[in-house]
Amino acid sequence: MNQIIGTSVSRKDGRAKVTGTATYGAEHQLPDLVHGYLITAKIANGRILNIDTQAIERSPGVMAVFTHENMPRVFTPTNDWANSQIYETRLPLADDRVHYGGQIIGLVVADTLERARDAAHSAAIEYQEEPVLVTAENATYEDSPPWFGEDFQFQEGTFETGDFAVAAADAPTTLEATYNTETELNSPMEPHALVAHWQGNDSVTVYEPTQWVRVSQGTYAELFGLPTERVRVVSPYVGGAFGAKAFPWPHGILCVAAARELQRPLKVVVSRRQMTANTGHRSQTEQTVRLAANTDGQLIALEHTARTCTSPVEVFSEPCTAVTPVMYATPNLRLGQELAVLNVGTPTFMRAPGEAPGMFALESAMDELAWELGLDPVELRLRNETQEHQRRGGVFSTKNFAACLSTGAEQFGWSQRQMQPRSQQQGDRLVGWGMAAATFPGYRGAAMAKVRLLPDETAHVLTSANDMGTGAYTMVAMTAAENLGLPVEQVRVEIGDSIMPDGGLAGGSQMTATLAPAVMNACQAVLETANAENAQQAFASLQESGRAAYEATGSAAPGEEGTEFTFQSWGAHFCEVTVDEDIARLQITRWVSVMDIGRVLNAKTAASQIRGGVIMGIGSALMEECHFDPASGHPVVYDLATYHVPAHADIPRIEVTFVGEPDLNFNPMGVRGAGEIGIMGVAPAVANAVYHATGKRIRSLPIIPDKII
Amino acid sequence: MNNFIYARASSVQDAIARTAEDPTATVIAGGTNLVDRLKVFLEEPSQLIDISRLQMQQIERLPDGGLQIGALVTNTALADHADIRRDYPLLARAILRGASQQIRNMATVGGNIMQRTRCPYYYDTAFACNKRQPGVGCPAIDGVNRLHAILGASDQCVAVHPSDMCVALAALDAIVEVAGTQGQRQIPFVDFHRLPGDTPQRDTNLELGELITRIILPPVAYARSGVYLKLRDRASYAFALVSAAAALNVSGEEIRTARLALGGVAHKPWRATIAEQFLIGQPATSSVFEKAANLALQEAVPLSGNQYKVDLARRLIRRAFAVSANSGGMA
Ligand SMILES: Cc1cc2nc3c(=O)[nH]c(=O)nc-3n(C[C@H](O)[C@H](O)[C@H](O)COP(=O)(O)OP(=O)(O)OC[C@H]3O[C@@H](n4cnc5c(N)ncnc54)[C@H](O)[C@@H]3O)c2cc1C
Repeated sequence: MNQIIGTSVSRKDGRAKVTGTATYGAEHQLPDLVHGYLITAKIANGRILNIDTQAIERSPGVMAVFTHENMPRVFTPTNDWANSQIYETRLPLADDRVHYGGQIIGLVVADTLERARDAAHSAAIEYQEEPVLVTAENATYEDSPPWFGEDFQFQEGTFETGDFAVAAADAPTTLEATYNTETELNSPMEPHALVAHWQGNDSVTVYEPTQWVRVSQGTYAELFGLPTERVRVVSPYVGGAFGAKAFPWPHGILCVAAARELQRPLKVVVSRRQMTANTGHRSQTEQTVRLAANTDGQLIALEHTARTCTSPVEVFSEPCTAVTPVMYATPNLRLGQELAVLNVGTPTFMRAPGEAPGMFALESAMDELAWELGLDPVELRLRNETQEHQRRGGVFSTKNFAACLSTGAEQFGWSQRQMQPRSQQQGDRLVGWGMAAATFPGYRGAAMAKVRLLPDETAHVLTSANDMGTGAYTMVAMTAAENLGLPVEQVRVEIGDSIMPDGGLAGGSQMTATLAPAVMNACQAVLETANAENAQQAFASLQESGRAAYEATGSAAPGEEGTEFTFQSWGAHFCEVTVDEDIARLQITRWVSVMDIGRVLNAKTAASQIRGGVIMGIGSALMEECHFDPASGHPVVYDLATYHVPAHADIPRIEVTFVGEPDLNFNPMGVRGAGEIGIMGVAPAVANAVYHATGKRIRSLPIIPDKII
Repeated sequence: MNNFIYARASSVQDAIARTAEDPTATVIAGGTNLVDRLKVFLEEPSQLIDISRLQMQQIERLPDGGLQIGALVTNTALADHADIRRDYPLLARAILRGASQQIRNMATVGGNIMQRTRCPYYYDTAFACNKRQPGVGCPAIDGVNRLHAILGASDQCVAVHPSDMCVALAALDAIVEVAGTQGQRQIPFVDFHRLPGDTPQRDTNLELGELITRIILPPVAYARSGVYLKLRDRASYAFALVSAAAALNVSGEEIRTARLALGGVAHKPWRATIAEQFLIGQPATSSVFEKAANLALQEAVPLSGNQYKVDLARRLIRRAFAVSANSGGMA
């Protein structure tokens, strides 16, 4: 039987979500639960001279207040990714320093949320202020270290092959342009929140949304000096994360620490306002691209440099140039990443970190070059394809980029495009067509899953992986159904609990490539245990023998294939915008995305991931931006009415088509990820369409009315 | 949020009496704006007097052909009302361009008029704000001020009034009827909201203990040609960057009456009377509209981040008049 993989199956968790029975982190009700509310700094740089904790303690309902003066002891985790990792190296309430506006400087615990919030709000705090720097243009940039922490796999910021300067000097065509993107907030629907529940001093359960259950468990264990198995992390549902819920943030560490002191279950919910400073963002970027080409469009030299910003307490360099070496072949390639420190919260991974803003610069520049040369931008891209990763080496295992371009062009009707800006019109609106490429690395980690076959003729799959809205429940069920020869309805999936086998990380678009092979192996193992060819035979033998269950655990991990190949997904976006130029009103009216992501496991949720990526990309193209007050340093956004993400009315119908073949060098299922590639290339496709419509090249995102008039 | 007493008003008089005797008491209608403000500590009233069940929910025809609208009519009911849609289409349009369906179902006419600014500096108690605490300063003036006022601002406050509905009411010569301990009075809509001046803490001329009871729409012929255009950062569910309510009465070759009000540009819905007066007697041509737009903005003083609004407002005015002249209001 081989008919489930590749079909469209609706989410297994959909009903629970729309009927409100899916339990998210903060919704776990426990007896004797108390509530914590964070106190946040009103200055963005300086010291706390005094917090009047006695006054706070006198506030009605208040049970405790934690500040840097009585922060319970926590240990510094190893931060090696394998065992533990925290987003912000400085531990919460470590000292009296304030590094950024809205930084957590205390926690009030009370019997109700309202009383905790009230006491936190009226806290009297004296500060000693120091000058604030939040304006990127005034910052001092230095060559960036590896992009996150000390040891992360990615290499130094600078890289060069050939000689850019010499090659560019003689080139017939050169182009240089600088592009800017603004600070973006991950903005998941579910705010950051957790409930910590200690059993005495030596064991704790943490109900918290996390993209990586196992490392979250390991991190809390290290922080509190416990054996790993004494920490249980429960995360059955994650209401969106986009990179910001992989590791504990300061509020989480503080909550678990306070709960131990109080020996009561404690809940901390981070407000939308507090999220702007304390749970990550995508740094603003300034990027310069220099291209040198032959008259036929062949690239001779390419330089891409990026400047991004981090907080005073963590190194996170938005890796904009990571994408460049996979896109276009050139013998002379130069990359540079610089980093500056601002008094802003700690930036972090946000859907296609670095790659999404990097692609805005690169794909805008390629469009500019196409106009300069009078070439079709699709053709320009085809002429410059590379078959290998020009930085890490390794030929692409499979690459169907050309098919993405040609299929997309065909579906969109690209050949009808007028080769002049401002040449297409619809009533009094200008019409523009734009396109851009998409790409994203195929990542894969190690994972395990347990499968049980039960006498009620169901299969039960258990793994600590999680579903942050991507469709992991359904993907696991389909994989098991396929390998057991069962209908999907007969597979039950339980995920998101650290007592289950390690299901790996939902980040870097790798959950499916990581977990599906492990589920496949577990299914094969359980059939072997049952000495059966499929689940029906195993159920029959359960009946006969009176046995309660067959159970087996399977695991899967990458091997040596990465030394020979580079795994990469590909895609292309084509879009149409209309611009009512006189009143600066822009509408996106058509969208076609064609993707090569290896084997498509669930056609429905994979397309939905691509659509979600396109929508988020449209957000960054047209509206998302967080500014900081130059004087006080605070973000000048406080909720989802001041930080806009797209509404339905902003989004046209999005046609998604998959092309390509299973990437069997990558894993036995042949799947790569769908989570991030959808956002790649969206913003430049829009900007390129705006240029075609209006003749105006907008090099800074978002494209707000101010920039159109 | 502080502790407060919640009380349901038994009558309009009861609500007036309760708020008159306790200056820290506040009335609550749909709650869509007030509750948000309470949750972030912008106000800490001692009492919430719930008026939402009072009998102020009717829309009635007046003998002179105008309409009166109870203060508790919901935004949805008002926008859906057949007479409003026919006679005052720009009002229905303005309401429907605001907020979301769910919020409009809860929001009332009185609450919409009394909603406070969305200035991010006002909303976050980490910032100083003269509106919250007179005299402490206004960081928006030299700060992130893309969304702020270009007309009628002061060195105390550059916030804008957020309502769409109010822009339409300003253009329609509506009247606000209020009741207080001293009895009733009527306030022309354009005089109801205030410019910030030295008292940015006061948004309106409503006195302590006074309640909005209804809105009166006069019977005006030009209203049927009215249009409302709104520019914002996304296609729905966002406050206006700039909006324009415009109406014309053209007879023969001449403009007989013109109305123009702007949103998103000032501390109050901005009625552009200079432009209106200029238009009277002029032909309805694009160059005339252009001049009117320039007049409407001649006193604009943009801040570091909102120069674009001057330009955008001008363009929007031209467009609004052009649409009004062409379509007789069916834009
Ligand atoms: C997310 C969001 C988006 C929005 N977008 C828009 C938009 O795009 N355009 C727009 O115009 N509006 C928008 N709004 C605002 C919305 O229109 C107002 O919140 C609503 O109109 C307020 O009405 P209410 O009855 O809920 O008022 P309440 O919240 O009950 O009261 C608001 C204020 O009015 C006072 N008040 C109420 N009734 C009376 C009365 N009869 N007499 C005297 N004082 C009274 C209250 O004391 C309070 O101070 C938005 C609101 C939200 C939450």
